[in-house]
Amino acid sequence: MTNCPECDATVENHGMVLGEVFPCPDCGTELEVLENAPFTVQPAPKEAEDWGE
Amino acid sequence: MKVAVVGGSGYVGGELLRLLLRHPDVEVVQVTSDSMADKPLGRAHPNLRKVTSLTFTPHAELRAADATFVATPHGESMGRMPQLLETNGFVVDLSADFRLKDPAEYAAYYPTAHAHPELLAESVYGLPELHRSEIRTARLIAVPGCVATATILALKPLVDHHLVDGRPVVVDAKSGSSASGQDAGPAGRHAERSGVMRAYAPTGHRHTAEVEQETGTPVALSCHAVEAVRGVLATVHAFAARPVEEKELWRTYRTAYGEEPFVRVVHEKDGLHREPEPKILAGTNYCDVGFAADRHVPRVVALAALDNLMKGAAGNAVQCYNVRRGLPEPTGLEFLGLHPI
Repeated sequence: MTNCPECDATVENHGMVLGEVFPCPDCGTELEVLENAPFTVQPAPKEAEDWGE
Repeated sequence: MKVAVVGGSGYVGGELLRLLLRHPDVEVVQVTSDSMADKPLGRAHPNLRKVTSLTFTPHAELRAADATFVATPHGESMGRMPQLLETNGFVVDLSADFRLKDPAEYAAYYPTAHAHPELLAESVYGLPELHRSEIRTARLIAVPGCVATATILALKPLVDHHLVDGRPVVVDAKSGSSASGQDAGPAGRHAERSGVMRAYAPTGHRHTAEVEQETGTPVALSCHAVEAVRGVLATVHAFAARPVEEKELWRTYRTAYGEEPFVRVVHEKDGLHREPEPKILAGTNYCDVGFAADRHVPRVVALAALDNLMKGAAGNAVQCYNVRRGLPEPTGLEFLGLHPI
């Protein structure tokens, strides 16, 4: 178990493997598994979006 | 429970009947309306055609019931409230008549003096997220206004966690046309309403008093009419007492609403629907609450979206009924909404 680096939500490891990308259940940030023991995640790299703003 | 609805021909009354006619704890025994007396419910609310054989009856023919919902225009329920409380079980009033505790505040925002100020102390402000324990035993539940509900749910966690610096909080609210009711007057005509973006209450909106009563903080509220039938979006601009990080805002709102069945914290990093918006909430009892920390100036922007006829009126009234009856709060309120809509 760890916390989302963006919103601090509790994030559990349901058998995920190194490098797996999954969304935070609260803020939806795509998180990448860096380590399994201890369970460590970071925001996954992504392409910048342009919403026409 | 045998339930009566007083004033069932308006938009809020229709939404209430849509919910109550399918509620497992409710038998709707009477619906009053002087203007629609003797006509079937489906005449006023076509979505209820052939769902019930009930017809509207005049207010004067109201009979006793186990519980009563009142959806009359503001100013009409207060005169008959002592009698209703005597004969009609507990009362859930969707008008503004019993929301404010202070009769002077009522007189400042509404055109007449209050007819029964002695009942204001007893009435419970019907927002379960703030007053759940009082609602459980209340005789008179006053359902909040739609803009007030959105604003309070967005703002209250910031006040409770001392994230507001004491200056008045600025609130910019947008609402759809059904918030004005069936008798909106010339402003509701299609030619006037279509494409509208109108500041209809830049200052002095009545819900200001409710928000200040429930949050304990001064509020500068401006309201706008926009091109929608249903929906309220309240944008709260709160100047922070100190720099605030979004993680702290997440913890603040998670603490306030993590266990609430109808308040969802929405502030997503990706996707099309990243912040609360009312469109996808039409017909549901959800209030979606979100936020953003301004890095440029010490400001927190809090957002709340809801359907003004649901969490902003009838849905919240049914949630209060469920609390009062000791039922699971989602009873009869399970609709998840439509997408796309």
